[in-house]
Amino acid sequence: MPSPVRSRFTLLLVTVLAVLLTFGLAALVEPPAAQAQKKILNIAAKEPDSLDPHSSILGQTQAIVRFTYRGLTRFAIKDGKVTTAEVQPDLAESWTLSPDGTVWTFKLRKGVQFHKGFGEMTAEDVKFSFERQIKRTPGTRFGVNLEVIKSIEVVDPHTVQIVLKSFDAIFLLRMVGYQQGYIVSKKAVEKYGEQYKWNPVGTGPFYFERHSPREKIVLKAFDKYYGGKPQIDEINWFDVPEDATKLIGLEKGTFDLLYPEAVTADFASQVEKMGAVIDRRGPGQQERFYINMTKAPFDDIRVRRAFMHAIDRKAIKETMYPGGLGKLAISCVPPGYFGHIPMTFPEYDPEKAKKLLAEAGHPNGFTIKNYFISKSFFYPKVLTLAQEQLKKVGIIVELQVVEHATFHENIRKNLDPFVLYGGTRITDADPWLSLFFDSKEIPDPATGNKGTNFAHYRAIDDLLAAGRLERDVKKRAAIYAEAQKRIERDLVCLPITDVAGQWARNPKRVSTPFDPDYGEFSLHYSYNYPEMLKVLN
Amino acid sequence: MFKYVLRRIVVAVPMLFGAMSIVFFAMRILPGDPCVAMMGDQATTEALADCTRNLGLNRPLPVQYVDYLWRSVQFDFGSSLRQGYPVSEYIARMFPHTLVLVLSSAVVAALIGIPIGIISALKRRSPLIDYPLRIIALLGLSMPVFWLGILLLIVFSLHLDIFPLIGGGDLDGVIHMLKNGEAFSSPRDFLVAVGDVLHHLTLPALALGFTLAATVSRLSRSAMLEVISQDYIRTARAKGQGERAVVYKHAFRNMMVPLLTIIGLFVAIALTGTVLTETVFTRPGLGKMLVDAIGARDYPLAQGAITVFTMIIIVVNLVVDMLYAVVDPRITYR
Repeated sequence: MPSPVRSRFTLLLVTVLAVLLTFGLAALVEPPAAQAQKKILNIAAKEPDSLDPHSSILGQTQAIVRFTYRGLTRFAIKDGKVTTAEVQPDLAESWTLSPDGTVWTFKLRKGVQFHKGFGEMTAEDVKFSFERQIKRTPGTRFGVNLEVIKSIEVVDPHTVQIVLKSFDAIFLLRMVGYQQGYIVSKKAVEKYGEQYKWNPVGTGPFYFERHSPREKIVLKAFDKYYGGKPQIDEINWFDVPEDATKLIGLEKGTFDLLYPEAVTADFASQVEKMGAVIDRRGPGQQERFYINMTKAPFDDIRVRRAFMHAIDRKAIKETMYPGGLGKLAISCVPPGYFGHIPMTFPEYDPEKAKKLLAEAGHPNGFTIKNYFISKSFFYPKVLTLAQEQLKKVGIIVELQVVEHATFHENIRKNLDPFVLYGGTRITDADPWLSLFFDSKEIPDPATGNKGTNFAHYRAIDDLLAAGRLERDVKKRAAIYAEAQKRIERDLVCLPITDVAGQWARNPKRVSTPFDPDYGEFSLHYSYNYPEMLKVLN
Repeated sequence: MFKYVLRRIVVAVPMLFGAMSIVFFAMRILPGDPCVAMMGDQATTEALADCTRNLGLNRPLPVQYVDYLWRSVQFDFGSSLRQGYPVSEYIARMFPHTLVLVLSSAVVAALIGIPIGIISALKRRSPLIDYPLRIIALLGLSMPVFWLGILLLIVFSLHLDIFPLIGGGDLDGVIHMLKNGEAFSSPRDFLVAVGDVLHHLTLPALALGFTLAATVSRLSRSAMLEVISQDYIRTARAKGQGERAVVYKHAFRNMMVPLLTIIGLFVAIALTGTVLTETVFTRPGLGKMLVDAIGARDYPLAQGAITVFTMIIIVVNLVVDMLYAVVDPRITYR
């Protein structure tokens, strides 16, 4: 008689064999033939936090909502390129501006359908889309960009009139399908309420099919899209947090497009090795230093100049983004933004830096204790490089590496005398300079102001006010040129690198009509015209 | 026995309460604000104030705490600050994935670890067997799961193309079919779904299981060594029992008691291991969810996940205590 222990082992063995057999069976199960003919695009990115286009600033969310939503205007396609500061009609067919510059009348394109049978898009939907943000409906984030609007009138189902508080030079840019500019279905938002963020209804080329949290989002081609049904039938947007996994998936063919966390030289070389390409969409994000001119010792312009002489911008750029991975920044308003002019910055010269520090009363340099830096993204790497360079001239920076959220909290408490920062905005000097150099945006823990003017700069308030009223394009450009000259004079901002939005693409599987190198503008950190992507077989 | 279980459950309540309170305050002591985390560099003063108010985070902390406890008693863990899904629904979706991962990696760890431990203890005087086995154990101890995971993915998913790269398989489908009885009416579909889940589970379970197996083998080796030198083993041998019977009948059963204690601990270790495993293998699950929730300062989600983790550990320990009585009839509970 076999011992009970032995028979238990036999049982275990049989179970294990059965399990292995099942694996084998599962591996043999082929997808049905119909699936093979469908054009499916597989994207590896992170999971969005919402699909309500007015609700999130996360890169992946902004990238995916561009597939499902459109705005009244869109960035113009000119000479085969997507431009940065010019617009074309999208959901609006045409528009006029009143002589006093405060009333915009938009004629809407007729017959534009919302997804899932929510009917035709009308002026009511346009009014609703902007008003929900202006009213600061909980969860919406971009109302601040529409504050210029005084009222919105529905003239008829296909005409909407927007009255502004005062002339706004960048109003058509605000109407681009990006953040505040997207048009949502009024009926759908009212029907779903708080659940709208996972029941999105737009007019874009793809509609939302389903979401399996932490796995994937499925989008499908919208056959009533006004521009015609896209070539791609279905999009799987996988939640893949690790870049290493994304790369394996690209090589294996599991994914066709990757939205990486960070494009490093190693990442780029691996992509190249497997015959894939990197689509670079400029101008992208700028990484730069703001120096708090009210905080000693940086309240002395000689110390700020010494700081800039001590930083070897080229070395940082080449270490972080060798070759084409990034561009050395040439202005505090990045190229591609309206109003940009090249600026000059103190060149790298440690000896000069030391001399200036001595003149300013710091012959042996000084130490910055408890300097907070985020542990995420480019922050710790850029800062440790700068730390080494500053050390050479006697400025010792004692780093505290913290969570990203903590970093954001601390820099708004003015705990860091200089702040490393990155970001992308609407491509015009006005919103950009307003956020980072307007005195209204000076962070102050005492009043609870959590603005982003980390330099505590006050010298261009007059120019920003004038620029907002100016209707002459040339004069506007001149105003922002003057603003950049003042910033250059006062040495409060040192830009390091302009880094494009970069995705990896398997060119044997997916094609785009735009040049991989800066052929398309990337406010969305992605593809502006996803309906033009084609799956090749 | 019943009284004992009841007593343990009653004791578990303050434990759970303690854990929940610690999480509540720890999350809020952490510097950083969910609204800043959500809005990143575009957070304006005004938007932040709006967001804080909408999420109810502007209320005094004691008010938030009492509100949180009161809702938790009613099994209402709130909604994720970020994605808006109800926390209980979210956890219900993630939990099965983590559960199957922990269980399967425990099976892998036991299947590899216990035999290695036993053989290594019994053959401790023959270096040709004991040493290589101990080296394997050492390898497992020193190989982090994310490294082993990537290695397995490169070999078995990329090059050999036997296993999928990402995902947890159709676990929702399996659960659905079990619930509505389709599992029995159309067993073929059910088997395909189960196969799909197992297919997705193999590499993660192997990776996590192998790293855990090292600990198990070390501990079962020392448990076996202790048992094998007991008087009753010598007695068994003295009365002429064969080596196989001595090991299986006398030694193995007696080493089960210390081993069970290890398994209790082991669940806690495996749960923390799921964080990395789920990330590397891109599986949905509680571990990864918890880390992201903490990073985003998604208070309700993090609180919910930790509550579930605490409950799992309490339940597993209770089950282990009850199992002592099963493996060792000398132990009884009153």
